[in-house]
Amino acid sequence: MNVPIDEGLIVRYLLGDLSDHEQVEIEDRAFSDAQYLQSILAVEADLIDEYVRGGLYENERRQFENRFLASNEGRQKVQFAKALAKVAGESVVTETSRRPVVARATTSWWSSFIAALGNASPAVRLSMAAASLVLVIGAAFLTWQTIRLSGEVTQLQAEQKSDLNKQKALEKQFTDERALSQDLAARLENEQQQRQHTEELIRDLEHEREESANRPPQPTIFSFVLLPGLSRSGGALPKLVVPQSAGLVRLQLGLEQGDEYKSFAVELRTQAGKQIWTQDRLSAQSPRAGRLVVLSVPAKLLDAGKYEVALKGVLDGGKIEDVGYYYFEVQKK
Amino acid sequence: MASTTLLGRVHPPGGMEVNPTRSDSLPMETGSDALNDGTASSPGGSAPLRSKWVLTQAGFDKLLACLDADREAAGRTYLEIRTNLIRFFTWRGCAFPEDHADETINRVAKKVSEGEEIRNPSGYCMGVGRLVLLEVYKEQEKERLALGELTYSPVESNYGDEIEPRVECLKRCLQGQTPENRELILQYYEGEKGEKIENRKKLSEKLKTPLNTLRMRALRVRERLQVCVGDCVKTS
Repeated sequence: MNVPIDEGLIVRYLLGDLSDHEQVEIEDRAFSDAQYLQSILAVEADLIDEYVRGGLYENERRQFENRFLASNEGRQKVQFAKALAKVAGESVVTETSRRPVVARATTSWWSSFIAALGNASPAVRLSMAAASLVLVIGAAFLTWQTIRLSGEVTQLQAEQKSDLNKQKALEKQFTDERALSQDLAARLENEQQQRQHTEELIRDLEHEREESANRPPQPTIFSFVLLPGLSRSGGALPKLVVPQSAGLVRLQLGLEQGDEYKSFAVELRTQAGKQIWTQDRLSAQSPRAGRLVVLSVPAKLLDAGKYEVALKGVLDGGKIEDVGYYYFEVQKK
Repeated sequence: MASTTLLGRVHPPGGMEVNPTRSDSLPMETGSDALNDGTASSPGGSAPLRSKWVLTQAGFDKLLACLDADREAAGRTYLEIRTNLIRFFTWRGCAFPEDHADETINRVAKKVSEGEEIRNPSGYCMGVGRLVLLEVYKEQEKERLALGELTYSPVESNYGDEIEPRVECLKRCLQGQTPENRELILQYYEGEKGEKIENRKKLSEKLKTPLNTLRMRALRVRERLQVCVGDCVKTS
């Protein structure tokens, strides 16, 4: 029967962590299979070593102690394992400079170190003392270096912060000045525009003045109101005194009630019957004084003498009717 | 060697004395059940289990004859059975494994003396050993109840500081080993967990020996050294 050996199960057996049935199975096999028994003994030796070196968890440790420290036989094995661990560790320290084997002992590392130092040979003690001295000096030097570097770092950080503040101030100053410059530029541009506008106004005024200087004087207008019904042969004719400087003579022809036409047309003739001025498409105007037809005649056409104005009305169908005649006399002044 | 030893005072600590001169006159037992007539002691430290039945030379001879026709081979079997019984009681956390092992053998010898035929002495001894163990546990429980609320603690974790004499003895015993065995034992059991496993692999490669073989070799050397150190401590 070649059943594989489960070392984990053996460990549990040795720690008393199995059921009665499982324990009996292991024991029966152990006492009938020499190889299995040897395996249990090997596992037991390793377990004891683990215990001695502090390699067991707390609960395992308790279980182990309940089993192995209960009897003198178990205690003998544990004592032997302690001695073996110590001798094996010493041999390693003597042969090489490797670290101590008992790293997880239950005692503190310092106690272990002192104990190991106490049991070491003089040469080893001397070496350890020298190493300790070097360590102490090295640690002091490193501490001093750390403090110094820490100070330098702090100073550099302060300088860096100061530079940063300066840079920020300069940036702010630059921003302010740029804003001021932009404001000034805007104001300058505004003033330039105002100046340009003023110059343009001046130019316009000068141009206007020049134009007004060159422009001919506006004709003087003289208005006269002529009433209908005045015959040519009748009494005194209305006299129009027209100054030599007059440009236009405005004649306002009075209409009677019923003179309703679409538009009006006039003919201006001399006493001799010569037509000197015509105008059509005239409309009747309605001032407060009564309805009127207004016509403007250039003054230069009117010499001194007597004149006749024939007023004609245009009906909707385009037919023209005589509305009335108006007479007047012009005197030049 | 074996026969001479076996016929003398075999197990003084357990009180089982083989007395060839009185074998015929000694009473064999007082109780009706030979397997249950012992009084077990607690593993906590009270008086060890003592059998009322005393093993005589004649009874011991019968036991050996039952183990093997060849007396020397029978002696080796007897020692093997006893060692295994001690291991059994140790592994089960008993305080007096040797005494319990002797009590077990005593009861088996009584049965043999009574004429019982035992085909598998080793297995039979283990069976009797388990009955003794039950008695031990029962006594242990009684004692625990008698002590009331006190928690049974077999021993303090840092019991005794007797390491130095053992270290010196071990060093002495190591000198008695061959250089190869010395190197083997020191390197094989050096380090912890992962480091120890790595050491063993390297040692296996160095010695060109399979790990399992190496393990058994190391165990044998360890057992020899343990016996040597035990003797050394006793004598020093």
